[in-house]
Order: sequence, then structure tokens, then C-alpha cells
Amino acid sequence: MAASMKCAWARCLSTILLNSTKHRCQISQPLYASCSNITGDSGNDEIIFRKGEGGTDQTRQEAGPADDTKKHRRDPGKAFTDVRVQKILLRLTGLDLDKVYEYRAAKGAGVAKVALMSDQQLKKVYESASYKALRKLQMPPVLGAREPIDEVLSEDPELEGLNTSKLVFIDISQRVPLKKRTIVVREPNGTLRKASWEERDVTLQKYFPQSGRKIGLPRMFQQDNLECMLDDGKHEYILNRACSQFEIDDPEYIRVTQRTYEHIDGNGKFEDLRSTRHFGPMIFYFTYYKKIDKLLVAFLEEESLEDSLDLVKLYHIVHPSCKSAEKVASMPDATPLEIIRAFAEMDATQKSLVQQAIQTYEKECDSTGSTQLRR
Amino acid sequence: MALAIRFALFGCTNRPFFHIVVMEKRRAQRSGKIKEMIGSYDPMPNQDNQKLVAVDFQKLQKWLGFGAVPTKHVAELLGLGGFYPIHPMSYIKAKRKRTLMEKQVADMQAKEETQETAAIQVNEDTQPDSTEDASQ
Repeated sequence: MAASMKCAWARCLSTILLNSTKHRCQISQPLYASCSNITGDSGNDEIIFRKGEGGTDQTRQEAGPADDTKKHRRDPGKAFTDVRVQKILLRLTGLDLDKVYEYRAAKGAGVAKVALMSDQQLKKVYESASYKALRKLQMPPVLGAREPIDEVLSEDPELEGLNTSKLVFIDISQRVPLKKRTIVVREPNGTLRKASWEERDVTLQKYFPQSGRKIGLPRMFQQDNLECMLDDGKHEYILNRACSQFEIDDPEYIRVTQRTYEHIDGNGKFEDLRSTRHFGPMIFYFTYYKKIDKLLVAFLEEESLEDSLDLVKLYHIVHPSCKSAEKVASMPDATPLEIIRAFAEMDATQKSLVQQAIQTYEKECDSTGSTQLRR
Repeated sequence: MALAIRFALFGCTNRPFFHIVVMEKRRAQRSGKIKEMIGSYDPMPNQDNQKLVAVDFQKLQKWLGFGAVPTKHVAELLGLGGFYPIHPMSYIKAKRKRTLMEKQVADMQAKEETQETAAIQVNEDTQPDSTEDASQ
């Protein structure tokens, strides 16, 4: 009884959540407020989410410029923050309450409560749990690597010899966001320069420690140890820890996450991350770097046509000038299978694999006698 | 009594650590009454060869507005940090150290040279016949 009710509620909720005005598919404002350098180049393209700005104009920005320009390649953030992209990623991630609220041995994890409730009370609890679960499913943004800091404030060669070590100055004024804290370094040769990103991270962690972060690179993220962890199948753990250890535009974070996604791709273990906050960024990574073939095959093998269609649509949004996108634009009444077939013919890197998967799917459909969209 | 922005030495034997505090200039640094602590300075370099200085610049500016005066060494440190212009003593100290280093290097070189010449001399003394024959 409970299981079937949960299923029904999960489906009901996803419709509520996607259609309701109370909860719109909004990119988390506090999360994005901390990513004030989402775009690299020009100031007028900057997406900064401040409190009180509903994010309406900014979230409706178009996906980035033509896919083959260097600018777009360097900056996936612009494409990631597109509302259409976010909607698809959220839909693909899904909401499996059992997985989201899975017991994790952690500090502060209490004993589960048992309560006797009426159907209506249970309904309310499921609703509130689902809204809270959406917060757990907030996706860490996919950004390009941050530009190195290279600013010299003053050159004083007459100070040479005064110190044999560097002097690091940090401003510990109250209520200054971490990214805006001034940290400068006076070198032994007398140059006063702004601290590099690595120096900043270490110094900020010393004076304003964030829980879950270590000073310096944890050994787990060294290449060999990372491979060991990946072979053990600890993808979600690695991604969670990377999220807490690094800033999301840190080249180390990008290296660790991309290596994890590649490993998942190699072993086909996409479902490990389903209904976690890393599923969206992983899908986006494959879409942005044009590696969605195995993923598409996996979706078709599961016989979820909706997911496959979503993936291809995402590809068309992120790479609007690709051949299949143009073809699909010219066929407004295309069925989902036709759209996927167009992608397989024109833009798939492993054409035969995808086409075979489509054929298998069609056979399955015919044998079960149903061609409707199924999840 | 003068309100000062000064170092207060804490830490322990062979391990100094300074708090940058606002207090009356002539009060005892550890046991005396500190008006406010606005930073720290660690004179011992860490593993990355860095000496860490933290200053709450907003509070510093507030106390400067109240008429607090930084001591010589605090002013030097703030000069190195870019808040003040570089203190003349920083230039003087740097120059003194450079001269000392150069003198030490010169002394070392002189010492090496004298050692080399002494070694050559010793060589010549121990082989008198061969050199006399060669010169003749």
C-alpha cells in the first residue's frame, strides 16, 4: 500500500513541481551568488544573483554563442545557467525519495522517528519532504576553470633583503564575502602582489575554516588514489567530497569531476548518480563536450523514451548550430523517435551503437505493443 | 596615556606570536586591559615560507579615527602590507641587511681565495726540486 502510494505521489509531485507557480525551476540564488565570476570575459554578460532580484531577466538569457568559438568552450557556465537546460536536467535527475533520504552514517544523524498518521497527514509529509529533497538536489554549477590572478600592486626593489620569507596579509573585516576578501603577498624581492587562487584558498581556510575542507589537496584526489576510489565504485562520495573541498571553478574540481564522469561513462554506471545532485552536471558535461552516445544508449536500453528525447533536446539547446538541430527545426511535427534518429544519423560520434540501440528499442516497443512515452 | 595600535606578544618560549591590539601605550601587553584585538602577526614562517598577518582593516580605520596611533613596528608592517606607505625604517633595515650580506659574501670569497693561495703555496713548498728545475 505504502509503496504504490509513494509511486503515485512521486509522479504527482513531479507534475506539481514542474507546473506550479509556487516553485518555479529556479537556479538556487544563494548558490549562484557565490559564483559571481560565472562568465570570463565581458562585465555586461555577468550573471550575479543578488537577493531581491528575482532572477527573471537574467535566467532567461540565451544559451551561449555558437558552439565552436573558443569563448563558449572555455565557459560552460553560460550554457548551464540557461533555464531550458536547467529544466531538462532537473527532469532527468528525477526525485527518488528513498535514495535522497537514504541513511548516511554522519555526525548528527539521529534515530528515525516512527509516527502514526492519517492519509492526509502522510500526504502533507510527503509533499514537504519532496520540497526539501529538491534543495538536496541543487546542482553544483558547471563552470570553466578560473583565470589565474596576476596583479602586481607595487614594485619596491629597495626592500630586497628585508625578509627571506613572504608576508601574507589578509583582511579579516566582518561581513565580507569570502571571494571579495583582500589577500596580498609581499615577496622577499619587495613586490606587493595579490595572492594567487591557491594561496587564497589555503589562507581563507586557515582564517575562515569551512567544514569538510582540508588545507591543501586531500590525498584522495591525487591521481593514483582517485583511480583506486573510482574502481571501487565510490563515484557519489568522490563528487560530494570534491564539492565540499574545492570551489566549483577550481581546476582541481574540474579535473576530479571530469575524471569521475569519464569513468562512469567507461563503465556505463550512469544510474549510480540518478536522483543525486551530480546527475545534472554529469549529463551537462557529456552534452557540452559531445559525448552523449553511451548515455543515450543507456536511456534507450532502459526503454525511457522521454529521457532519451530530453537528452537530444538538451544537445540541441547547448549546440544550436549542429546539423540535427537544424533538421529537427525544419520538422515541427517530428515524433520523439524521429528526433533521436536524426541525432543518431547526423551528430552521434558512435553512430552504429546508437542506431542499434534505437532498433532494439523499436523491436521492444513492437513486441509489447506500445509506442507511448514511458518513463 | 596614549591610545596605541601595537603588538602584544603572546606565544611561549622560542615561539613568539603577536596580536595586533588597541590599548594604552604604556600598559602591560599580556596582563593589561586590551580595548580591542584587531589582528595578528606570526613572525615565524610556515611550511610555505610565509609569515601570516591578519588585520581587521575596518576596525583599524575606526580606531585611527578615534586617535589611536600605530607604534613603529606596526606602522612598518602596515607599510609592507600596502595600507601605509613603506616606512623609512623598512628601507634602512633592508639596506643594512643587504650591506651585511654583501660584506659576508665578500669575506667568504676573500677567505676562499686565501685558502686557495695557501694550498698552492703548500704544494710548491712540498715539491721544491721540480719547480727549481722547471724555472731553470
